[in-house]
Amino acid sequence: MPTIAVDAMGGDFAPEEVVKGVAQISTDTEIDCVLVGDESRIQTVLSSIVYNPEKIRIQHAPEHIGMADDPKVALKIKRQASMVVAAQLVTQGEADALVTAGNTGAAVLACVQTFRPIRGVKRAALASVYPRQIEYPGQDQLALLLDVGATIHCEATELVQFALMGSAYARRVSKVPSPRVALLNMGSEETKGGDALVDAYQRLRRASDVNFIGNIEGHDLAKGKADVIICEGFVGNVVLKLLEGLAELVVDLAGTAARENWRWKLGLRVLESGFGKLRDLTDYAAYGGAPILGFEHLLIKSHGRSTARAVANAIKVAAKAVRDGVTREIASAIEQGA
Amino acid sequence: MNRRLSKPPVVGPHPVVFSWDLDKTYLKSEFDSLRELVKIPFEKPEDKIAVPGVVPLIRNLRSQAATAGRDARVFFISASPPQIAKAIKDKLALDGVEYDGITFKNQLQNIVRGKFRNLREQVGYKLTELLRARPSFPAVAREVLFGDDWESDPIIYSLYGDILAGNIDHGEIRGILEIIGVDPALIAEAETLAEPIAAIDAVERIYINLERRTPPKLFEHFGARLVPTFNYFQTACCLFQDGYLNLAAVVEVASHLVASSGYTPLRLSNSLADIARRRHLNEVTTIAISEYMHAKGLLPLPRRGRSERQPLWQRIRRWLRSRPKRTVETLQPRPAINYHELIAEWRQAR
Repeated sequence: MPTIAVDAMGGDFAPEEVVKGVAQISTDTEIDCVLVGDESRIQTVLSSIVYNPEKIRIQHAPEHIGMADDPKVALKIKRQASMVVAAQLVTQGEADALVTAGNTGAAVLACVQTFRPIRGVKRAALASVYPRQIEYPGQDQLALLLDVGATIHCEATELVQFALMGSAYARRVSKVPSPRVALLNMGSEETKGGDALVDAYQRLRRASDVNFIGNIEGHDLAKGKADVIICEGFVGNVVLKLLEGLAELVVDLAGTAARENWRWKLGLRVLESGFGKLRDLTDYAAYGGAPILGFEHLLIKSHGRSTARAVANAIKVAAKAVRDGVTREIASAIEQGA
Repeated sequence: MNRRLSKPPVVGPHPVVFSWDLDKTYLKSEFDSLRELVKIPFEKPEDKIAVPGVVPLIRNLRSQAATAGRDARVFFISASPPQIAKAIKDKLALDGVEYDGITFKNQLQNIVRGKFRNLREQVGYKLTELLRARPSFPAVAREVLFGDDWESDPIIYSLYGDILAGNIDHGEIRGILEIIGVDPALIAEAETLAEPIAAIDAVERIYINLERRTPPKLFEHFGARLVPTFNYFQTACCLFQDGYLNLAAVVEVASHLVASSGYTPLRLSNSLADIARRRHLNEVTTIAISEYMHAKGLLPLPRRGRSERQPLWQRIRRWLRSRPKRTVETLQPRPAINYHELIAEWRQAR
């Protein structure tokens, strides 16, 4: 069973929600976890909840990086921060992957400083899953979008590598034998989107080890056309936040309508289970977190507002990725792609 | 008014009585559903399963007491009816566990007398049985009690310890048992049995097997005398600290968990760290156990990477030293238990 290092102090609701998530994993699964952070605070939370001590180790780390801290400065000053210590445990072989709900910039930088990049990978990518329409029975409900914020602007080579990494991840984790890969662009024509995107398009079209289906536009994101969508970090982050915002907006609008009109209220009551499913589908807590791809070790970055459920799901994702040999698959894809 | 509180004056190894609850403490009895409950009387001895680690633990408690020239006795108090006594006794024989006495609850009598509430109420039954047995022990005998978090063992054992220690006077016994809802006849019996007992702080430790994984914080109000443990390796570590087991016995319990229940060295190491963090083990004991178990190959070997350079016991020592400093090493005795508050809190939490 894999051992997952968990940054106990990262996130808006740390350490309580993080520790609760780990405790849940300890009683429900066979995954071993190392909780990294302030030992006495972690133990205080643990003692008041149901947990299995056999599957939890606590590694004391006296400092932590706040959500508002400048990543570069924080990593330079706080050498004993929980996120850094957790990353070191992974490189030392005491854990197989890292999960954090902490500062995203610091998480990416901690990977850069601590993990070794996969040979040949130029830039890391933060990948995220999102719900989409299903085109055929058995198709995965989730598509993979990368990069969503690790590399703000990209060159063509980097976009091609993201395609290779995303494709390898989907093959292993989503069990799609030949994931369909698309570039997110402002038009479907191969000449659209500027030099980097045009160049990436040509290279991906020639690539034999990627099932490239061409460009897709924003309105295609929610359809089941592609399994892996490639874009630069700036665009990906905007898209991701927009999807989250829209989901919240739909729920909010429904609530407002129900308060103002009894017919709406009645209608919503009838559709309650359907809305519940929709809410579950758009709930980030259900997906756990986004992997940072491109390093020899895996980091799963979960949402800053992660609850115990989200943390637990992120740990499950990390354990699954370790078990399925995601980093090996990515290394092999990059080697072949080169 | 409290009676005299004293530790028994002992020359040489003091006599000790180990009293065990049966279901969920010794036996992995499943009675979560009616179907499982109905199945129990029909189980054969070989069908009954002991909680992992409990058999080598009891065997070692006896054998090491004998080696030390200590008078040690093992008793079982079961809430099961005498009708299944044979199966249980055969199971204990099958496990090679020697004992000095076993008590069963006469449920048939409760049914005949129409006392159906007594069928499930254990406090009155167990407390009176413990008090009844006490005069048969040497006056200076200390007691170590083993129960679980399934029903009311923490309250029963703590109450018994405090009655022996003279921390609760007779008037209070009635009041506490009435709140719990004990049968008036059993309350009167408990008072009568408690009357002639000389005040002696005999209950040294109460071990609660966290079968339901009840959060340890819930037991804080019971004081340092009560130790909630998640497995019998943790219990063995504490018994080593108290001088009832040696390190070889701790290793035997740990090996049993590895062989029979799929425990790994990593999980044993985590268990050890947990009981130390909860301050039931001091640092000297923790290091001694770590070193010995590492030498026996029962604590994890360093995994690949930089940590290979340092032996595990040194890493554990480094970890112990790196932890935030505390003013006390292990839990200190608390003031007398307020049973009225404790019972209310316990009920609310359950």
